[in-house]
Amino acid sequence: MPNEKDILTQLQKIPYPGSRHDIVTLGLVRTVTLQENNVTVHFRPSSATPDTLQRLSQKITATLSAVSGIGTVSIHTGRPSGPEAGPGPVTAPGKTPLPGVNKVIAVASGKGGVGKSTVAVNLAMAIHALGYRVGLLDADVYGPSVPLMMGTEAVPRAGHDKKIFPVEKYGISLISMGFFLDDESPVIWRGPVVMGIIRQFLRDVLWGELDYLIVDLPPGTGDASLTLAQEIPLSGGVVVSTPQDVALLDVNRGIAMFRQVHVPILGIVENMSYYLCPHCGEREEIFGHGGTAKTGLEVLGEIPLVEEVRTGGDTGKPIVLQHPEHPVSQAFRTLAARVIEASQMSIH
Amino acid sequence: MPIPALIVPLMDEKALRLLWDDDQISTYPFPYLRGWCPCAGCQGHDGERQFIKVENPQLATIKPVGNYALNLGWSDGHDTGIYSFEYLRTLSDQVAEFNATTTER
Repeated sequence: MPNEKDILTQLQKIPYPGSRHDIVTLGLVRTVTLQENNVTVHFRPSSATPDTLQRLSQKITATLSAVSGIGTVSIHTGRPSGPEAGPGPVTAPGKTPLPGVNKVIAVASGKGGVGKSTVAVNLAMAIHALGYRVGLLDADVYGPSVPLMMGTEAVPRAGHDKKIFPVEKYGISLISMGFFLDDESPVIWRGPVVMGIIRQFLRDVLWGELDYLIVDLPPGTGDASLTLAQEIPLSGGVVVSTPQDVALLDVNRGIAMFRQVHVPILGIVENMSYYLCPHCGEREEIFGHGGTAKTGLEVLGEIPLVEEVRTGGDTGKPIVLQHPEHPVSQAFRTLAARVIEASQMSIH
Repeated sequence: MPIPALIVPLMDEKALRLLWDDDQISTYPFPYLRGWCPCAGCQGHDGERQFIKVENPQLATIKPVGNYALNLGWSDGHDTGIYSFEYLRTLSDQVAEFNATTTER
């Protein structure tokens, strides 16, 4: 007839999935009680997923049933009451992206005016064109450009429980502060308000099922960027810069920010890389060439300075949609493919 | 940088146990973890490490912060500490040094 100590010895033979440590050593077993020959095991509340707990329960049952003299085995995963309950549900880091959203990619830059929103919009369109479900979150609350560039001034509909439906355009789900403001009103907010807006855009927007959520960050390394990096496990960051040194100076700060908060940097996009003369077709490297390679990041794409990119943004018809055969659209699709490939390697 | 693969609050033993994804186990007694809260309110800005002595602290909340940290809340209402994984690893690997340099205030 085994006693409780014998049962614990048996449980010490069961390793936690992916570890050489056993479930008793890790503290997952809260209590073991023996009444007559029936065993009751209580798990401690932990970040272990219900799936893992079920697998462990099956292992415990199998292990203990093989011991002679043991009758029934019952296993409890519920939270105890009183002070033993501990903190509410605990989740391990990197396991709680937004519900239904598979990958979240942030598009950032050090400086303003390097074409970050242009890249974000066309990247979103290009990923969508490759057959994925895509959302675009405009985190630049002070200067939202996504509504203009996507050609919509729709007002997001309200759902239940203070939830918001995103605006749909060209097959992409959009949210932007621009949808809630008229064109003239200045956005004069302090950091905590900005943090609240970013949280709402993440948590209170009914994104539904998305393969990719692209986030267009404001320039620099301020409240919006930090809040985003703290609120959710980002799958990766894409950095946008023009090739000249003065832009690259600040890009390094953006890179350092991503590194500090452990966001994998997928690479850098060189925007306004060169000018293709519409008359003679000659390539003019106004801002110099190859500057972004100096950052040591993988150069994901070089987007030339062409008029169709600008008119695409100003008229709300992104070039990827309006001129799909244009070499720049091709460049954006190549960029999209590389972002997808790089983000698949990320664990988040 | 290793990240926690499993988080187990041991309320009866008044300690937090982490299993890291490189298979190391760390166990932090609550008074130690609360005492070395990394927030600016506890640590100040003079660069000197401060140990905040709290009577019988209980872990009240655990929230993951992005890809890089855990935000721990305590029964005394203090919840501004963002414990980066690097910091938690240091607290675990250098227990002796941290205990030796305790400067209470």
